[in-house]
Amino acid sequence: MAPPPQFQRSSSPSQPSGKSEISDLKLQLRQLAGSRAPGADDAKRELFKKVISHMTVGVDVSSLFSEMVMCSATSDIVLKKMCYLYVGNYAKGNPDLALLTINFLQRDCRDEDPMIRGLALRSLCSLRVTNLVEYLVGPLGSGLKDPNAYVRTVAAMGVLKLYHISASACVDADFPSMLKRLMLNDPDSQVVANCLSSLQEIWSAEANTSEEAAREREALLSKPLVYHLLNRIKEFNEWAQCLILDLISNYIPSDNDEIFDIMNLLEDRLQHANGAVVLGTIKVFLHLTLSMADVHQQVYERIKAPLLTLMSSGSPEQSYAVLSHLHLLVMRAPVLFSSDYKHFYCQYSEPSYVKKLKLEMLTAIANESNTYEIVTELCEYAANVDVSIAREAIRAVGKIALQQYDVNAIVDRLLQFLEMEKDYVTAETLVLVKDLLRKYPQWSHDCIAVVGNISSKNVQEPKAKSALIWMLGEYSQDMPEAPYILENLIDNWDDEHSSEVRLHLLTAVMKCFFKRPPETQNALGAALAAGLADFRQDVHDRALFYYRLLQYDESTAERVVNPPKQAVSVFADTQSSELKDRIFDEFNSLSVIYQKPSYMFTGKEHRGLTDISEELGNLSVEAQPAAEALPAQIYEANDVDLLLSTSEKEEVRGPVNNSSAYRAPDYDSTTAALVSSQVPLEADLSIPGLPAYNPQVSSAIDDLLGLGLSVAPTPAPPPLALNPKAALDPGSFQRKWSQLAISSSQEFCIEPRAVVALATPQTLLRHMQGHHIQCIASGGQPPSFKFFFYAQRAGQPPSFFLVECLVNSSSARVQVKIKADDGAAAGDFSALFQAALSKFGE
Amino acid sequence: MLQCIFIISNSGEVILEKQLQGHRADRSICNWFWEYAMAQGGELSQLLPVIASPTHYLFQIFREGIIFLACTQVEMPPLMGTEFLCRVADIISDYLGGLNEDLIKDNFVIVYELLDEMVDNGYPLITEPNILREMISPPNIVSKMLSVVTGRSSNVSTTLPVATQSCAPWRKTDIKNSGNEVYVNLVEEIDAIVRSDGNLVKCEIYGEIQVDSNLSGYPDLTLSFANPTILNDVRFHPCIRFRPWELYQLLSFVPPNGQFKLMSYRVKKLKSIPIYVKPQLISSSGSCRMTVLVGTRNDPGKPIDSITIEFHLPSCVTSADFTSNHGTVNILADKRCSWSIGRIPKDKAPSLTGNLVLESGLSSLHVCPVLQAKFKIMGVALSGLQIDRLDVKNMPTQPYKGFRALTRAGEYEVRS
Repeated sequence: MAPPPQFQRSSSPSQPSGKSEISDLKLQLRQLAGSRAPGADDAKRELFKKVISHMTVGVDVSSLFSEMVMCSATSDIVLKKMCYLYVGNYAKGNPDLALLTINFLQRDCRDEDPMIRGLALRSLCSLRVTNLVEYLVGPLGSGLKDPNAYVRTVAAMGVLKLYHISASACVDADFPSMLKRLMLNDPDSQVVANCLSSLQEIWSAEANTSEEAAREREALLSKPLVYHLLNRIKEFNEWAQCLILDLISNYIPSDNDEIFDIMNLLEDRLQHANGAVVLGTIKVFLHLTLSMADVHQQVYERIKAPLLTLMSSGSPEQSYAVLSHLHLLVMRAPVLFSSDYKHFYCQYSEPSYVKKLKLEMLTAIANESNTYEIVTELCEYAANVDVSIAREAIRAVGKIALQQYDVNAIVDRLLQFLEMEKDYVTAETLVLVKDLLRKYPQWSHDCIAVVGNISSKNVQEPKAKSALIWMLGEYSQDMPEAPYILENLIDNWDDEHSSEVRLHLLTAVMKCFFKRPPETQNALGAALAAGLADFRQDVHDRALFYYRLLQYDESTAERVVNPPKQAVSVFADTQSSELKDRIFDEFNSLSVIYQKPSYMFTGKEHRGLTDISEELGNLSVEAQPAAEALPAQIYEANDVDLLLSTSEKEEVRGPVNNSSAYRAPDYDSTTAALVSSQVPLEADLSIPGLPAYNPQVSSAIDDLLGLGLSVAPTPAPPPLALNPKAALDPGSFQRKWSQLAISSSQEFCIEPRAVVALATPQTLLRHMQGHHIQCIASGGQPPSFKFFFYAQRAGQPPSFFLVECLVNSSSARVQVKIKADDGAAAGDFSALFQAALSKFGE
Repeated sequence: MLQCIFIISNSGEVILEKQLQGHRADRSICNWFWEYAMAQGGELSQLLPVIASPTHYLFQIFREGIIFLACTQVEMPPLMGTEFLCRVADIISDYLGGLNEDLIKDNFVIVYELLDEMVDNGYPLITEPNILREMISPPNIVSKMLSVVTGRSSNVSTTLPVATQSCAPWRKTDIKNSGNEVYVNLVEEIDAIVRSDGNLVKCEIYGEIQVDSNLSGYPDLTLSFANPTILNDVRFHPCIRFRPWELYQLLSFVPPNGQFKLMSYRVKKLKSIPIYVKPQLISSSGSCRMTVLVGTRNDPGKPIDSITIEFHLPSCVTSADFTSNHGTVNILADKRCSWSIGRIPKDKAPSLTGNLVLESGLSSLHVCPVLQAKFKIMGVALSGLQIDRLDVKNMPTQPYKGFRALTRAGEYEVRS
């Protein structure tokens, strides 16, 4: 080994201290390398410690590689361990130097001490340098046959590591079948467990290419093997038990006797000290009994106590995971915990993530028998020091009230909250009272009396303010002050920054107007004028809409604004029962904690969205045919972050969406926008004694504003024909994308139905294809999606349009960037693209 | 399975990184985590235990100023991640005699060694403290002694535990102890919520039976209770045989060597609590008079020690002063008040009085502080659980058997 160049300069004062320290270390290691003097090991150990601590804080000490290896010829096991650690960290970056270590690792693999053999083998397998694979096979083979169980344990896991470095080398050396033999025959439980986990991973990965592996994977769930493991389960350590339980949860017993056998064998696992084992067992029980309703119910009863113990005895982090599962269970069997509600009372010192889940549990288990106690408890939290918990508690009270139990008492309590005079309590309560009134209009008298006393100055949060305004409008006939409060609010229009509040204000003042015209007329005029002058499109549109409605016919306007309302019977649930079932299938997995089935989040996330365009070049095209691709390929594609690889799964649920789609109000926003551009905004709108109940006046205003009744039609799609069979490969797409400048960039909204349909992005691709716009790549997860489209103009010369389209499904906004070979046609294409997109979801 | 474990200080510095799989997790995930933590308000103990980052799923637990962070990219049982991290924290704390940044930095080699044995390729492996102790000696005394005696300094025992081959994975067969004794320790924590009117909302006891066994050979122990029916739900150390418990409520087991938690249990619906705490708040025109009375409610038969009452002043209180007729009162910087009483004197009931000045504009106090009481009672298990007898078989001579009990306040809170 040539002396490294910086060696000579080690003492130079101009060197930064970190670097000189490293060369210092290098020098000292060198001196110690061959030393057999007593105490040399101690000195080495100190040096190694320094090196490792540098490594740990992130200083690059890879330049010491050869010295470290030289010093590692020692019998001291701690030194060896530190050296293994070092080598494992840097081998990948220095494959040539890693070769140096092979020698001593291989020698250590033959050491007489099994601990050293095991450690060396583990380090050897952790080098992860592809060109060293040949040196791995031998030691692994003998490791699997080692007389000592520790070494076999390491070797069994080592096979999996080898598989990840080089699958072919692993399979060629016939390791999988050796593992299988060991798994069935080895006396040591940890060896068996490691064989099992290695085989599970290897065969799952191989199953896509080899039928034999697929069969082997099936065989892991065969009856003899399952019973082989089940009968010995107590010998395994707790983590291996989790692994086995997970395997068994996928096993399908042949008859009911077998189900009871398995449950008997596993029952005592419910008492295990390790929560992961308990939860794993519960999963097995639930899955086995799915088809037997009455036994399933008994299982719920049986698992209740262990779950409650797990929740209340573990650390907060464990409680959180357990509570997530309890929440799932209670959704399926609400009565299950109804008498144990006290377990979900919040303790003062618990972290708020636990408290929040507990509040959700309390909401979910409230029924006739316990509502009084639960609501009493929740009311205590409203005075809690932790504001976010106080808010959640009030919301929980509201939710319980909406579930229809003992509403009377609850309404009283909510009204008491309003008297607490804490602004956040008032704010939350107002929102709830509004919802309650929508469901139980019969309470309006009680509520209105209290709500009427609230000064709108004390309510600042937009949601709460909107709720208050809604009530003022809706019940203005019962509240003598209503028109004046509204008027006051309208006078301060400019101080109100939330468009939500402004919209509500417009509607409320309209409602009020029809109920108490003389008192409200001025306010309405002022509100419409302020609304028309508003720079926010929706506010402006709504004001204009009302204005024109009044102009047209006031009785129609009244029917639109003040229709007879029916009490809302059920508020829409945020999560479909189908989703919940899916999550239930994935009991004891992360899905439960995120409350989303795993297909919604695993796989897609490996890299950020923004990388798509950079990666575009090296992806295999994932156009339509790929939707039918094998799961393995899909997985691969995920890894390079492409595409809607979960399309298959999502496809299944696709068609459901439209039926439940929310319909937007039926007036055309583009029309309204066009009209608005004709309105002379500067015109003195506030002066005319506004619409009122005098038809003549309204027609006069009509003239005054010069609003023709004719409305400009939506421009017809420009004459641009696209080639239905356009073709572009990813490489050229990327090239073009980087060469061309953006010729058109737009941002607009899409209809709610389109957002709903977007739940399966695949449908969008198909929809756009129907308009001769092809998708080349897409990705992302809710709420943001990214698509790359391209299209080709029909006829000569063939000119391409490239589109980057960002969709945000939560805000329903779309950003489109278009690049075109022929920049002049980009405008036409943009209109066409937008037209096509606007039809999506119909 | 788990891809990587990071140990991070409470200032965001990565103290230690342990990669577990070939597919390495980049350290930048820690930066992401830290930014996330700061964006959540920087209160580390309030962070979700499972977090989805754009690239990984993160498990994290926060223990005494240290964050243990593990990441994975595949679906896995959540408790396996969380529970494993808890074990890692427990064992490291056990080995180093505490947890803090300096301790970990001074002993990072030990931590690496431990992690090496506790997890392989992301799968948790050995987390039984007794077995680990046989493979890697704790630092300090033992290793120093070894280096003096043998001249060979190493904290790794040269013999591998054979436990993995016996059918009791928690115990190796040929243990020789100089002592011949076994101690059984009942430790109970009482959790209670008391309403301001003195009514008990909920009261529950969480108990553990801790055993310290120093027995040679392969002893077989049987522990029986006088009143096992009061136990509501139990969780066992793997060494306990299930059948005898199911049939006769007997704990029959071969103990691990040294200290371990034999079982934990819950006792529900307790009616009596040892002390009462009576807070009273009377607001009038911008200030609030607070009095707290403390006394014995149901005499447990043994003295109640180290009584402390703690509470947070609501944020709308600008200043406060307290006086007490017994013990000392401290108001800490974060508006925490701590009143340490110690033992209740025979001649008077301890009381605390104080005046809270409210924020201007506020006429009365609407947010009520929650008072947390701490105490301990030696020699009593408040649940009433009684150990009947402990039989030791398979031993040439009968060992010395010791029994102790202790009850302390867990989450004992009183609302005002």
